[in-house]
Amino acid sequence: MSESNKKISLISSEGEAFEVSEAVAREFEIVAHMLEDGCSGSSIPITTVDSNILGKVIEYCTKHVEVGNVEGNSEKAEKDLEEFDKRFIAVEMNTLFSLILAANYLNVKGLLNIGCQKVADTIKDMKPEEVRSIFNIENDYTPAEEEVVRKENEWAFQP
Amino acid sequence: MSSSKKEQSPEPPSLIQLLPEDIIIDILSRVRWCDYRTLSLVSKHFRSLVASHELYARRSLLGCTVRRLYVALSNRETTSHNPYILCLEANDNHRLVLIPWPTHVPHVGSFVTVGWKLYAFDMLNRYHHLPIPSIDCRFQTVHLVHCMNATMDVSVAGVIDGKIYVTGYTKIPWDTSAKMVMAVFNTETQIWETATETMIGRPYGCVVMAGKMYTRDGRNSFVYDPKESKWETDKRLNMFKWQGGCVVDDVLYYFDNRGGKVLRAYNPRKSSWVVVKGLERLVAEGRFSESYYTGSCDGKLVLFLSKDRMTKGIRCAQISLERRHHQGRSEIWGKIDWCDDVFFRSDDLFVTKTLDVIL
Repeated sequence: MSESNKKISLISSEGEAFEVSEAVAREFEIVAHMLEDGCSGSSIPITTVDSNILGKVIEYCTKHVEVGNVEGNSEKAEKDLEEFDKRFIAVEMNTLFSLILAANYLNVKGLLNIGCQKVADTIKDMKPEEVRSIFNIENDYTPAEEEVVRKENEWAFQP
Repeated sequence: MSSSKKEQSPEPPSLIQLLPEDIIIDILSRVRWCDYRTLSLVSKHFRSLVASHELYARRSLLGCTVRRLYVALSNRETTSHNPYILCLEANDNHRLVLIPWPTHVPHVGSFVTVGWKLYAFDMLNRYHHLPIPSIDCRFQTVHLVHCMNATMDVSVAGVIDGKIYVTGYTKIPWDTSAKMVMAVFNTETQIWETATETMIGRPYGCVVMAGKMYTRDGRNSFVYDPKESKWETDKRLNMFKWQGGCVVDDVLYYFDNRGGKVLRAYNPRKSSWVVVKGLERLVAEGRFSESYYTGSCDGKLVLFLSKDRMTKGIRCAQISLERRHHQGRSEIWGKIDWCDDVFFRSDDLFVTKTLDVIL
């Protein structure tokens, strides 16, 4: 109980401070490690994440800590959390990539998981050109090379 | 167009370029297997990622493995053997697709799979005595494992707990001094263990159930227990001349083409045979079939039958099996998940082997 009362400031790349409980800050594994390594300071700079994204990651972690603290009725809580995750991750592609990058850097496994899953769900029925456009990738195949891959795919990757 | 845009104002690097490769692999390993057909066309980099060891490792970590059924077809006229895989087409129809087969890997012999690895034992190993090729079915690459520590022409092979039990004749079978021997290959250590003599004659097939290997020669059925390194005859199993069988949930299934055209099942725990119920219509429809083959894939039974003498072609049905108890008796019921014409050709082809590969 005493632990969750302690407040920690997370500083975004723009220098904005976000005050969170230690329990929420510990959801960032990178912060948890810092705290365990004896970093006792009350403000921790998160230099690679901007305010917008850091705010979102904190929102995610706060919700997960809150639900984790509720005792009983776990099935309903789990469902609610699933719903929350679904709404939370329904963002446009650039934000999604930023969230994944931040989750990877801060080591927030749950968020990284739903982020990667969301991208996977988005690209699953897309045409190659659509995938290129969302990932901003250039097609480096010559028509002849592309034909070779198409031919091979007649049996490779068959369901 | 894009180049002129670049000249005007250098674009910031796309976020995907900032994502570590590890994350991209994580994303790609969550996509359905069949989507790799599209994703491999995105760019050369994507193609290399969807065919990488890292991707397969991540997929298996996430539990996203796929099963694939390899099917060997033999041509009655030319006696050639060719490898196919069973695929689902866009129109929801299954079909057999011919796949390239690495050179130097025999087309005829005994084949077993351990996960994604397919080991191919040459039927004429006694003459060739070469290293044994194993195909990594994820990348179609071939690795060679040591030559066998026994001289034999391989007849049958089975896998128990990661070890391959290979049996075969030391000489041509009609040579009176020919012996049936068994060699054991440990796929983890990649080492051949002791080779021993066996009591069996020319085997007609081999299946593994509940950690034991079962085989049959012209007279008897046998069971080999690797824990005791012991062969025994199995009289109950020998009630039927089973051949070309497969195993689902430690029960042997084979299509009895002689005694009434039924799918029979043998449960070694109860030492009892039953006829699988619920398939009467399929069997009646296929009554003109000249060849039957049962294979298993991911806990389901796959039955291949030739359409009829006139039209050739191969029909295939995937069957879910359910054990039931009725008036104190155990029954096995089959339910047809799908039944498709999977191969159309005028050549007289039939299935000689199926292998369940985990990718």
